[in-house]
Amino acid sequence: MRRTSAAAVATLTAAALALSACGRDNGGGAGSSETAKDISSGKATGTLTVWAMGNEGDILPDLMKDFEAANPGVKVNVTAIPWDSAHDKFTTAITAGTTPDAAMVGSTWMGEFAGLDALDPVPPSIDTSAYFEGAQKTNEVNGTNYGVPWYVETRLIFYRTDLAKKAGVTEAPKDWEGLKSMAKAMQDKAGAKFGMGFQAGGQGSWQSIMPFAWSDGAKLTKDDGKAYNFDSPEMLEAVKYYQSYFTDGISDKAAPAQPTTEPDFKSGRVPMFISGPWMMSAVEKVGVKKDQYDVMPVPAKTTSSSFVGGSNFAVFKKSKNRDSAWKLVQWLSDPKVQAKWYGMSTDLPSVKSAWDDPALSGDPKLKKFGTALETAQAPPSFPTWEQAVAGFDTEMEKVTKQGADPAAALKSAQQQAESVGTGQ
Amino acid sequence: MSSTTEVTPSGATGRGSSPRGKGGDTRPASNPGAGASRRRQGLAAWTLALPFCLLFLVFTAWPVIQSLFMSFTDTRSRDLRTPFAVDIVGLDNFTKAFSDPIFRKSMLNTAYFVVVGVPLTMAMALAAAVALDKGITKLRGLFRLGFYTPVITSIVAVAVVWRFLLERDYGLINTVLGWVGIDGPNWLGDPNWAMPGLILMASWRNFGTGMIIFLAGLQAVPWMLHEAAAIDGAGAWQRFRHITLPLLRPTLLFVSVTTAIGYLQFFEEPFVMTNGGPLNSTISMSMYTYKQFGFGNYGLASAMSYIIFVIVAIVTAIQFRLLRENT
Repeated sequence: MRRTSAAAVATLTAAALALSACGRDNGGGAGSSETAKDISSGKATGTLTVWAMGNEGDILPDLMKDFEAANPGVKVNVTAIPWDSAHDKFTTAITAGTTPDAAMVGSTWMGEFAGLDALDPVPPSIDTSAYFEGAQKTNEVNGTNYGVPWYVETRLIFYRTDLAKKAGVTEAPKDWEGLKSMAKAMQDKAGAKFGMGFQAGGQGSWQSIMPFAWSDGAKLTKDDGKAYNFDSPEMLEAVKYYQSYFTDGISDKAAPAQPTTEPDFKSGRVPMFISGPWMMSAVEKVGVKKDQYDVMPVPAKTTSSSFVGGSNFAVFKKSKNRDSAWKLVQWLSDPKVQAKWYGMSTDLPSVKSAWDDPALSGDPKLKKFGTALETAQAPPSFPTWEQAVAGFDTEMEKVTKQGADPAAALKSAQQQAESVGTGQ
Repeated sequence: MSSTTEVTPSGATGRGSSPRGKGGDTRPASNPGAGASRRRQGLAAWTLALPFCLLFLVFTAWPVIQSLFMSFTDTRSRDLRTPFAVDIVGLDNFTKAFSDPIFRKSMLNTAYFVVVGVPLTMAMALAAAVALDKGITKLRGLFRLGFYTPVITSIVAVAVVWRFLLERDYGLINTVLGWVGIDGPNWLGDPNWAMPGLILMASWRNFGTGMIIFLAGLQAVPWMLHEAAAIDGAGAWQRFRHITLPLLRPTLLFVSVTTAIGYLQFFEEPFVMTNGGPLNSTISMSMYTYKQFGFGNYGLASAMSYIIFVIVAIVTAIQFRLLRENT
């Protein structure tokens, strides 16, 4: 009995202590901009731990051999992490203070990790204007750069040239109306079941819708980049346009949850869709010949623009070998290394001058991706972006599948985003 | 107080010999020697139990307490490093969860899944068990294995196969429906049919567990009762209804409780098949909670977890009440 009460007192005391320590510490923290100190000159030394996800994690060790050869005395240990568990692994490591020296970081995670005070600001000797502007922007949190783009991707419209000819279209359309009539002609004259393979809302559909909104000059933030902006008139125009494909039966309202884009493209059932550069090898694998299809930029309402994605490279504050880690990032941004990495991974270079390499400039389809990257845009680097856009994706599903009013849907998306807040 | 190293071995011996010494033990604690020995035994018992208690406290009790604490705070993923430097918001997370239209939708979806799925799974399990018990005499082992295989097959493999089965144009289910002149629905693409599709798949996947338990229960039904009833002129259905089912009551309770607990937390089916769509028609409470964890809203997600926990407890209590022995 005595023991029990003693234990109870101890528990209560511990709980009281824990509770009295509660409450947010409101001073300082993320939000103010940081200035970075520069890195030392000379070669990289010591041991570096690097994390990378997916396919990049598997083949990065091969590239690191070149880095080690160029910098005798450095040893790079690459840890490959599956994409599914990567985000959790990073947040756990940041909490426990066991982050790697440098890592590949998903472009939508920058705001969150920088908010956790985990990333080291980019030193001044790295020239951030060498990268595509849209991709570089994903590294900027509250006016400070916390990383550099490593590789990029953007979305273009894929179409079957042979079927387009049958439909009487010989030149890629330049405006929204032209694109829609081309998709309609594919249905009417070239035997397509659906003219355009737009995603009918749902997760990730913003990546198909935003290129149109951006091509109309839409901005996703307002109030000096301090708030979400989903219900601008430009967004409304883009969403109405996107919806018209579904109401006119040009796109499939009831597409299966698992898209069958490649076989549908091959059979001509759906001869147009919007996607990224990896689809080139994917459609060629199912038997679409290189001269049977082409890509075109997103037609402009005002100026053509698309979505830029990809991954960044960042150095962590906890790194014991910071200077060498930045030297690695600098080396990875070298145009020659970027071109070589394209050859190994088919990841598109984030450094503009790397596109002069014949492997890239010699391919007319790739060149169009390169051109699109110059104007492509990325979503804001708010830590809550994924959650805010999930509401937008759900609303878009109502717009495409149930014919919901676009204005009301955008209003609801905006309300949801505002209740989530930017998280900064 | 003597040191622990000294007490442990002697205490351990004392504990081991206690059943034998029980007869001679003087119950009243007036004897000071007996009191000391009991204290020693108590200490020894605690020492032996200590490793388990520590593990339990650190790895089971603590996470539960912390998640409960989290559900009353505004914890977000960025607070992980300083888990106590958060504001206590009282019941805000719970009101927020209940006022979230998607969470309410997920509650309805879960209810739909349980109300249709549990009886369907149990009916299939019981039918299969009766067939294996009485009907199928040849290749019984093979059938038993066949019915149980879905339970032990990975959901990922099952999902791939079922996506083919439920395909709109050339899926097996719609092909068979086509033979009898029914134009099958676009199962996973239609908000009205996605949930029935998932229920079908979940029942198929889970009825094996219930079947095994029912089979054991059926074999415990005394044959004499059936014989006596048959002599009195009871038909097969009457005997099943009035002898087998009442005797199976404890088994039915067990299967319905375990199935309902599993189905209330259903997650994998929509996660691998539909990702909650179309139009959130298959998003479950567990899955929406998981999404909130993914967004970093740890406080809100913890509150949702506790809502699920309370619902599971209530549903289980109701089942115990409905299926208890009539005395």
